[in-house]
Amino acid sequence: MSKTANRLQSLRDSSLSRRNFVIGSGAAAVGGATLLAACGDDDEAAPAATTTAAPATTAAPTTTAAAETGVGTTTLGSNYSDEKPRNALAAAVAATGVDTIINTIDHNTYQENFNTYIQQPDDVVAWFAGYRMRAFASKGVVGDISDVWDNLPGMSDGFRSAASGLDGKQYFVPLYFYPWAVHYRKSVFADNGYSIPTTWDEFKGLCDTMAADGITPLCAANDGRWPQMGMFDMLNMRINGYDFHVSLMGGRENWEDARVQNIFSTWEEILPYYQPDPNGRTWQDAANALGDKSAGMYLIGTFLTSNFDGDTQADIIDDIDFFLFPEVDPAYGQDAIEAPIDGFMMAADPANEEGAKALLAGLGSVAAIDAYLSVDPSVVAANSNADTSGYNALQKKSAEAVGSAKFISQFLDRDTDPDFAANVAGVGIADFLATPGNIGTILADIEAKKQTYTFE
Amino acid sequence: MSDTAVAAPPAAKHKGPRVKPMRLLLYAFLTVMALAWLVPVGTAVYNSFRYWEADTQPNGAFSLPETLTLDNYRDAWNVGEMAKTFGNTAFIVIPALFFTLLLAAMVAYACTRYSWKFNIAFLVLFTAGNLMPQQVLFQPLFQFFKRMPWPDILSDTDTGSLLGTKIAVILIHVAFQVGFCTFVLSNYMKTIPKEIDEAAAVDGAGVWRRFFKIILPLTRPALAALGTLEFTWLYNDFFWGAVLLNRGDERPITSSIAVLNGQWASDFNLIAAASILIALPTLVVYLILQKQFISGLTLGASKG
Repeated sequence: MSKTANRLQSLRDSSLSRRNFVIGSGAAAVGGATLLAACGDDDEAAPAATTTAAPATTAAPTTTAAAETGVGTTTLGSNYSDEKPRNALAAAVAATGVDTIINTIDHNTYQENFNTYIQQPDDVVAWFAGYRMRAFASKGVVGDISDVWDNLPGMSDGFRSAASGLDGKQYFVPLYFYPWAVHYRKSVFADNGYSIPTTWDEFKGLCDTMAADGITPLCAANDGRWPQMGMFDMLNMRINGYDFHVSLMGGRENWEDARVQNIFSTWEEILPYYQPDPNGRTWQDAANALGDKSAGMYLIGTFLTSNFDGDTQADIIDDIDFFLFPEVDPAYGQDAIEAPIDGFMMAADPANEEGAKALLAGLGSVAAIDAYLSVDPSVVAANSNADTSGYNALQKKSAEAVGSAKFISQFLDRDTDPDFAANVAGVGIADFLATPGNIGTILADIEAKKQTYTFE
Repeated sequence: MSDTAVAAPPAAKHKGPRVKPMRLLLYAFLTVMALAWLVPVGTAVYNSFRYWEADTQPNGAFSLPETLTLDNYRDAWNVGEMAKTFGNTAFIVIPALFFTLLLAAMVAYACTRYSWKFNIAFLVLFTAGNLMPQQVLFQPLFQFFKRMPWPDILSDTDTGSLLGTKIAVILIHVAFQVGFCTFVLSNYMKTIPKEIDEAAAVDGAGVWRRFFKIILPLTRPALAALGTLEFTWLYNDFFWGAVLLNRGDERPITSSIAVLNGQWASDFNLIAAASILIALPTLVVYLILQKQFISGLTLGASKG
């Protein structure tokens, strides 16, 4: 125990000095950038809660029982490395009242190295819901936190199932989500008299009208080979339904099946409306086409607005709205939506299990997500009791869209074996976009490579 | 070397006003190649002084600037927490470099000055080590470090094992780099006449004295050249720092760029500024050791 305490003390010292440095430099930077000044404030707020040994000084009455029981210091591994999410998470952790040291690692390295990281993890680790969580749960490297779920008011059954392993136990506490939908500019639709399409034919009709008006109908990016996975998911769920999508992602369906071929033949109908050569375009470049109104619609996550500067491009952000992906087969309507959920897991053998569980319960609480959203309002709370009064129009719409959806998918690279997603399905989709005529060979190739994956 | 080869002929050409077409072609080719190399670096330097969202992103990287600013450098330094990551890198690179050169020089000395049974085999073993891709050994080393208990007093971070400490990264760097350094240093030491050694021995100098007082000073040019190279290699390492150090605030300077790469949107001007800041120390080391490096080359040449 004393060893752990020593370790924690040394970590605390090092993180303290780092924070002081950030505060100092933040204060020095106040000059012009209000953003920097704001984060300086948040950083000052964070250590107050994370470093006080006596919880009595934490003036947060809404926190969980953890604060009173004195569960000691715990550690949290975080991939919230961008400035805003980083400060938002610090605020959320402060709101839990649990004495926590946050270990921030840049999100990309964190995700790529998670296999090695989880062998010497912090007590609580940031991760994703769905298959990507289950893969680690079934290997026994993360801990069962079903007892935390006994006391998580405001979490719907949908989130509970997204947080459950194949054994039915819970391994994950959701924090927030962000839906994928078709984004557009309100002013462009108003000026040209466009109306929101709800069916596939209306959607294609609108694309035709836009093309005639000299607007590229659809923004299209696929650099990194993930953006177009969203289109694949939506088409599959609209054409073949959510159950088939889950089954296909689970490796239980044949990729040469007529139903899969149907996805791509439907997709081919709208390829002429795409920006040319999507494989080489980053999602930001495609977003800029929506920004200068040279393109009309964009299927992407609601993080789209983060591409635009909150100060100088606020007019663009305020002008962005979205609608649900149109119905293709009336049998499924618009019943499914894609909304990746981010949250936290517990290490299999945490140094401070009591503290870890208190922190997880705290992070699932209303107080934590309210604190998070007050700093980073680009996401939507998982907890249904969260304060939605501060939501902007897009957040309100996101919450409604997900709340009314019958099925919620995570995203292709979170719903199946991540390696299969990146190196087989992602490559196949990119090949299809480059040469749609080859789809027969591409699907045969995916099916052949699929055999080398177990999908657990 | 190639610089002098290209620069020498024009001096001889002064008398004739006639310009050979082949020469024109050569200059055109060299100019184009030089520009092709300079454009990416120049663009990065230029844009590091511009705002991303308000300027470069809408107007393009080759447009005229709306305003010039040092904000990117300040933000890169603060957000990338470079003061700390520079410290982490220094903690790893300086001891690693010192021990690599010291141990390699010792092996090279033993293998070039003393004849024993496994002389050649030993040298071959060290040289062969260079050919092994480091990543191949990742899993065994990772598991070894994880299971290796390590006293807190000898580590910079108390993790209970070697894994997660910067000591582990230093050990790996020393182990992998000693091979190449031994190869270079032994080749260099072979050019130092054995008679110098023998004369010192006759005067009563022991092995340690001959090594430290005679051979090492004579090897200085090679050590300086290796020091520059090795510093750059160790300094640029991202792989071992990322896979062995589980705490974000323990990681080396190369991870600062990764931190600046946004989850959704990236400010490439900020990343350019960070890259330039990170490249500076290698340039400084090169400039400091450059004198040694060049005098080393000529020293070897005049000795024949």
